[in-house]
Amino acid sequence: MRLEFCWFCSSKIYPGHGIQFVRNDAKIFRFCRSKCHKNFKMKRNPRKVKWTKAYRRLHGKDMTKDSTFELERKRNRPERYDRNVMENTLKAIKKIDKIRHDRAADHIAQRWKPKAAKERREARKELEQSISLIKAPLAIQSQEPAITVPKIKVKAPKQQTVEDQLMEE
Amino acid sequence: MAQYDFKKITVVPTGNDLIDIVLSRTQRQTPTVIHKGNAISRVRQFYMRKVKFTETNFTDKLSKTIEDFPRVEDIHPFYGDLLHVLYNKDHYKLALGQLNTARNLIKRIREDYVKLLKYGDSLYRCKSLKRAALGRMCTVTKRIGPSLAYLEHVRQHMARLPSINTGAPTILICGCPNVGKSSFLNKITRADVEVQPYAFTTKSLFVGHTDYKYLRYQVIDTPGLLDRPLEDRNIIEMCSVTALVNLHAAILFFLDLSGSCGYSISQQAALFHSIKMMFRNNPVLIVCNKTDLQTLEGLSGEDLKLVMEMKSAALKTIPVSTITDEGVMAVKNAACQRLLDQRSERKMKSKKMPTVLNRFHVAMPKPRDQKERPVCIPQAVLEARAEEAAHEERKTEKDIENENGGAGVYSASLRKHYILADDDWKLDILPEFLDGHNVYDFIDPDILQRVEELEREESAVEEDGGDFEIEDEDFTAEAEKDLQEIRKRKKLLIQKHRIKKSTAESRPTVPRKFDKDRKFTTERMGRQLSSLGIDPSRAIERARSRSVSRKGRKRERSVGGDGSVLSQRPLGEVVPGEGFKDSAQKMKAVTMARNATKKRNKDARRGEADRVIPTLRPKHLFSGKRSIGKTDRR
Repeated sequence: MRLEFCWFCSSKIYPGHGIQFVRNDAKIFRFCRSKCHKNFKMKRNPRKVKWTKAYRRLHGKDMTKDSTFELERKRNRPERYDRNVMENTLKAIKKIDKIRHDRAADHIAQRWKPKAAKERREARKELEQSISLIKAPLAIQSQEPAITVPKIKVKAPKQQTVEDQLMEE
Repeated sequence: MAQYDFKKITVVPTGNDLIDIVLSRTQRQTPTVIHKGNAISRVRQFYMRKVKFTETNFTDKLSKTIEDFPRVEDIHPFYGDLLHVLYNKDHYKLALGQLNTARNLIKRIREDYVKLLKYGDSLYRCKSLKRAALGRMCTVTKRIGPSLAYLEHVRQHMARLPSINTGAPTILICGCPNVGKSSFLNKITRADVEVQPYAFTTKSLFVGHTDYKYLRYQVIDTPGLLDRPLEDRNIIEMCSVTALVNLHAAILFFLDLSGSCGYSISQQAALFHSIKMMFRNNPVLIVCNKTDLQTLEGLSGEDLKLVMEMKSAALKTIPVSTITDEGVMAVKNAACQRLLDQRSERKMKSKKMPTVLNRFHVAMPKPRDQKERPVCIPQAVLEARAEEAAHEERKTEKDIENENGGAGVYSASLRKHYILADDDWKLDILPEFLDGHNVYDFIDPDILQRVEELEREESAVEEDGGDFEIEDEDFTAEAEKDLQEIRKRKKLLIQKHRIKKSTAESRPTVPRKFDKDRKFTTERMGRQLSSLGIDPSRAIERARSRSVSRKGRKRERSVGGDGSVLSQRPLGEVVPGEGFKDSAQKMKAVTMARNATKKRNKDARRGEADRVIPTLRPKHLFSGKRSIGKTDRR
């Protein structure tokens, strides 16, 4: 049994869900639910449909290139069972998952950063242009400028957590 | 000898069916239209044709049936006897005879009526003659209805008879009921006869085929025989008797040593002696069955004596157990061999033999010297054979399966034979999913190492601290407040504009200069200017100095004055018929009217002269059905 990915929305298909469509050229399309199936029948391109993973990756909304993805690869060679390897793999999966999640969250946070600067710029412009709504031009000249000295933000180095120390050992 | 094929007999239709078939054929295959006006010869010809056609059809069908059915005298006596036993030869012959008579009668009818038709003088007469002819033929056919039904029944049964080749080498199995004849047949051939614990499970002859020395032998299983005189035998037993008597075959007489068939050995011996004469010169083998229950040696003295007596009449006695397969092959081989020998003997005795014999000669090489040259088998092969024989006691998976409940109950564990680094792991449960990932995609012998690298990477990035963020110029508190004010005012403006825009249709937009809501006052202007931070006194002065005089605007002037140019009377004059007491009252009324309309006009509100719809939703338009048309829209 395998967890497959929906062809349309790229979500995971658990056993017992969804529909598999085999075309005459032997290409297999798996769908997680009828929504994706019906979209496919309508010949919609998932890269253009906003809520799919394909769109999000294509338009840079979600993380695409990362070393964690290389660890998860479909291997077609059968491996001889080794209990230790299996144990290690199970532990590793959890860690890799966590790291991948953190990185994806970072990516999204990074996307939001330019917004603050943009907003500030726009506010300044608005202030300049529309000040006449609340203050007559004569009154303004006597006022102080609205601009102040720029500040530089420096991030302090984080304290090494206990976990990391253990890991290094 | 020919192989009889009773399956090829055509279906015999019932009387009514036959009539229907023939008459409908006549109707379809002969011309149907004839008129009074046609020449009489044509008319006669027309009807004669019909009569002849019907007759030929009847005769054809009846002849076919008569010929298809085998004649009891002409076929092999075995089949003749079998047919007699099953269907009663007399009845059979009678039925066929009846068909023959019917055929002749129909022929006679046709001859008579054709002769009459030759002299028919009108259409009506010819038609009646034809009707009479066909009618008589049909009556004849109806009369043989029961015979036809009987023949159909016989045909169906005959088709199901086992096809026994009377010329092929045959083995016949007979004996008391329930001794194990059918199980023996199942063992040596591919036949699948029902084997049950009650007597007379086998009710008719069954045929199987087996091979021996590249020759095909027929094996016939018969129903059990009881020790009764011939006259008392029922049909089932008569079948086996026919087979015994008429077929040239090796006879296997089955004996049940244990008596579990319900008949003791003495009874069986009695049966044997009573049917002995039927054997004639057929080779006989006594097969002692059910040796797993009772062996030949274990028999009591009396029984043994009886068996020995029987043996003297027969060729051989062979102990057999059909359950354990012991001796089955021996019996078959013995019987087949005996038949083969008989055949070769017969062939040898025939006249043709010497001619054949003279044709070939087997050359035997003369021995060179007296040296013995036995068969040479290499030692290794002999050893291997010995080992194999010793090893046959190995326990196979099949044995384990049978021990643990058979095929449906036990499922073999495939994991037993896995080759793993540590045998404890053989019974491990392998997880396939974890947290929504396929475990098998992650399997890698050095996965841990790579994860460690990853983690190191991750912590390195964290220590790095990300980018330096250069914050842009920040706003002062005052500037922030100003910004909020600006935004609030903008919102208000937008709201006002929206209100104005949305309700412009439903009310008149009074031009600014009429100032309906008294928005444009100097007080207001003063307040707004001071909120902007400017001293308003000068502006107010200027505005006041420029305002319109009390004399009034154009509109106000036009209310009272110029309208009276058109009317020729002075304003206060009382006109009779208007209902005023005097001019003072009229003036009062005029003033009141003016006062009422003045405000309204200034506000540009709807007045008496403006268009009004008294009832917005008159009932006759908004209710009721229409005589034509739809009432979708009201």
